[in-house]
Amino acid sequence: MRTLLKNGRILDPSQDLDIVGHLIIEDSQVVEFGEEVDLSEIDEVYDCTGMWITPGLVDPHVHLREPGQQHKETIVSGTQAAAAGGFSTICCMPNTDPPLDNPALVDFILDKSASPEAGGVFVAPVGALTVNMAGERLTDLSALKRAGIIAASDEGFPIQNSAMMQQAMEFCVQLDLPIMAHCEDLSLTEDASMNEGAVSAMLGLKGMPRSAEEIMVMRNCLLSLHTNCQLHIMRVSTWGAVEMIRQAKYLGAPVTCEICPMHFTFTEEAVGEFDTLFKITPPLRTQLDIDMIYQGLNDGTIDCISSDHSPHASHEVEVPFEEAPFGHSGLESTVGVTLTMLTHRGVLSPLETIRKLSTKPAEILRLEAGTLRPGETPVAQVTVIDPECEWVFDRHKTFSKSKNSPFHGMTLKGKAMLTFCGSEIYRDALFSDDRYTINE
Amino acid sequence: MPRNLLGIRHLAQDDINELISLAADFKLRIIEGKAVPELSKEVVGMLFFENSTRTRVSFEQAAHYLRMKTANFSAGSSSMSKGETLKDTILTLRYERLNGLVMRHRMSGSTALAARYFGGPVLNAGDGQHEHPTQALGDALTVLERKGQIKDLTVAIVGDVEHSRVARSNAWLFSKLGAEVRFVGPRTLIPAHPQLLPGEVYHDLRNGIEGADVIICLRLQKERMAQGLLSSISEYASMYQVNRETLRWANRECLVMHPGPLNRGIEVDDVAADGDHSVITTQIENGIFVRMASLYWVFTSEAKPSSPPELKVKTAKAKTPAKAKRTAAGAKKK
Repeated sequence: MRTLLKNGRILDPSQDLDIVGHLIIEDSQVVEFGEEVDLSEIDEVYDCTGMWITPGLVDPHVHLREPGQQHKETIVSGTQAAAAGGFSTICCMPNTDPPLDNPALVDFILDKSASPEAGGVFVAPVGALTVNMAGERLTDLSALKRAGIIAASDEGFPIQNSAMMQQAMEFCVQLDLPIMAHCEDLSLTEDASMNEGAVSAMLGLKGMPRSAEEIMVMRNCLLSLHTNCQLHIMRVSTWGAVEMIRQAKYLGAPVTCEICPMHFTFTEEAVGEFDTLFKITPPLRTQLDIDMIYQGLNDGTIDCISSDHSPHASHEVEVPFEEAPFGHSGLESTVGVTLTMLTHRGVLSPLETIRKLSTKPAEILRLEAGTLRPGETPVAQVTVIDPECEWVFDRHKTFSKSKNSPFHGMTLKGKAMLTFCGSEIYRDALFSDDRYTINE
Repeated sequence: MPRNLLGIRHLAQDDINELISLAADFKLRIIEGKAVPELSKEVVGMLFFENSTRTRVSFEQAAHYLRMKTANFSAGSSSMSKGETLKDTILTLRYERLNGLVMRHRMSGSTALAARYFGGPVLNAGDGQHEHPTQALGDALTVLERKGQIKDLTVAIVGDVEHSRVARSNAWLFSKLGAEVRFVGPRTLIPAHPQLLPGEVYHDLRNGIEGADVIICLRLQKERMAQGLLSSISEYASMYQVNRETLRWANRECLVMHPGPLNRGIEVDDVAADGDHSVITTQIENGIFVRMASLYWVFTSEAKPSSPPELKVKTAKAKTPAKAKRTAAGAKKK
């Protein structure tokens, strides 16, 4: 079986490649790409004229909710949503019920995500750093690593005790395991539900001060600097956090970070009249933060973009603001929002956009993904994006089980049209039939 | 959309003036024993998820004068204590064919949520730390009676502004009617980012109430100490108590107000609470008339649909009630 992706703009940040050409997938592997390729014995052709051909996208931060919270999402629905969002590899977070703190659960997730009903994407589990994510006792990280975790994190229950965090880092250095950290000083955010600012003051909601995030960013960067533990900071939201990460990198700390589309799209004002769809942690901040996030994306301080896919059922979201859970269902909007808010506005070039959505997260978490080079991924991982496709995001038409998207109704420019992981795992309805031919 | 009264922040100046003049008219009629409009076909749910004595009694009285029927719920006895979500509780009340809701809840924004699902008028009787619109309307009526106008007055709101829905509603109301609003209190109890609130911040009591025509004292909740926001009650009292001495800094004709319940000896002393400056008892009484006005205002809005609107049984189609006139003067005379 030889598949030709014809006449697309090939963007591969792993080789700084930006050319118009063709790509051939043969027997589940990328075998060749370039301006001139061997066009003999082609079985099927996807006409990618006007579209981008990129390495399969990599999402470092997804909540699949299984086991235990299947009313929000399942491994099957979540991986299907990932494929539809253009992702061929995703990292799933450990805050399931029970949390991902033992090897048997890692096996369960790997098995389930490889089942034929699932979306066909690679799932790379992130294990819990402490037992039950209680911040008291480290998990058996070596056993978890053997079972297949690619990083460790206590996600939304960040370790508060600095000595504990330092120990965790020492272990992770020895095991060569990155730590993914949500940075929040919980003593400053008790009962708080949005950014501490003018809007929270007006709405009478307790606010999360920016210092709550920045204190922990700084602490974790310092611990990383002194232990040399690889630290990946999840979803930064303040200009101060960006600046501290910039400094930490300058000092030589092995630190990286990500941003989620909500944080470069909306400010605290989006909360409006207590709209729970805009409740996220860290919270939506201000225009100044967005401006500085643009800068951080541009100069490479912010390494990558994650969907921070956090599905929640409707009945959990349709409650008073303070009771609502944090986060949004983001796998299927991330490409559209990123291209609309960053690429088309000139914040990121197309090549840099794909670097942050694929090559860089793969590199940080050492995943066999993020490149089109033949043989460097277990199977071909390729995404085709139509950067000019204008579409209205409709949360009722998603694969995710949860509909908690703040992007509902927004017109987006840019959409994943095809996702390949070995073979085609997703073809968008907007990819016209004329563009696909089978050679008899 | 039915008309709601969820907060002062959303009201136009005309709406506020209409509500206050309706209340003044009702007050006159009640005192003179004249007829007031009857809304005897309306059943309003009294939904108090948070304890309240005065606001609840005041709304009950208001409904009684308007001949409305009330249905009572409280947090302990409602199915919320059995784990029902607020949305489901509200939908249940909608299909119990209640015509309107008066609601108090400890979460900011919860009455807006209720209004989204209820389908009839919802009146906010206090939502978390967000708004308490009828308290502010009663306070405005009280000031208007004593001062003749609100425009150009200086209104100082003293105390725990950060956690106070009374402070927010009053600040919106007095500023919308042209008064200068000041927030006075310690840094830990004043919002750190007050830019979107209509008032100037003062951390010193003397500067804050100097020249004030109205001082609204806020209740200091003792739990603020446990949260570390205050070092001691006595320290707070020594810095922010409105009393015989500190009142001298304000305008000679200054009014002292308090939403209650009072902590005598903490935010006010007896002289401030009971003396010539105090209008606290009038505030309580006027609370009834502004709540009458509020109920009348939401229930006679032309935008009000029959409730529940999706009812599909044709024979049971509710007749559109005859349009009530928009002022109490249109009430039938006995």
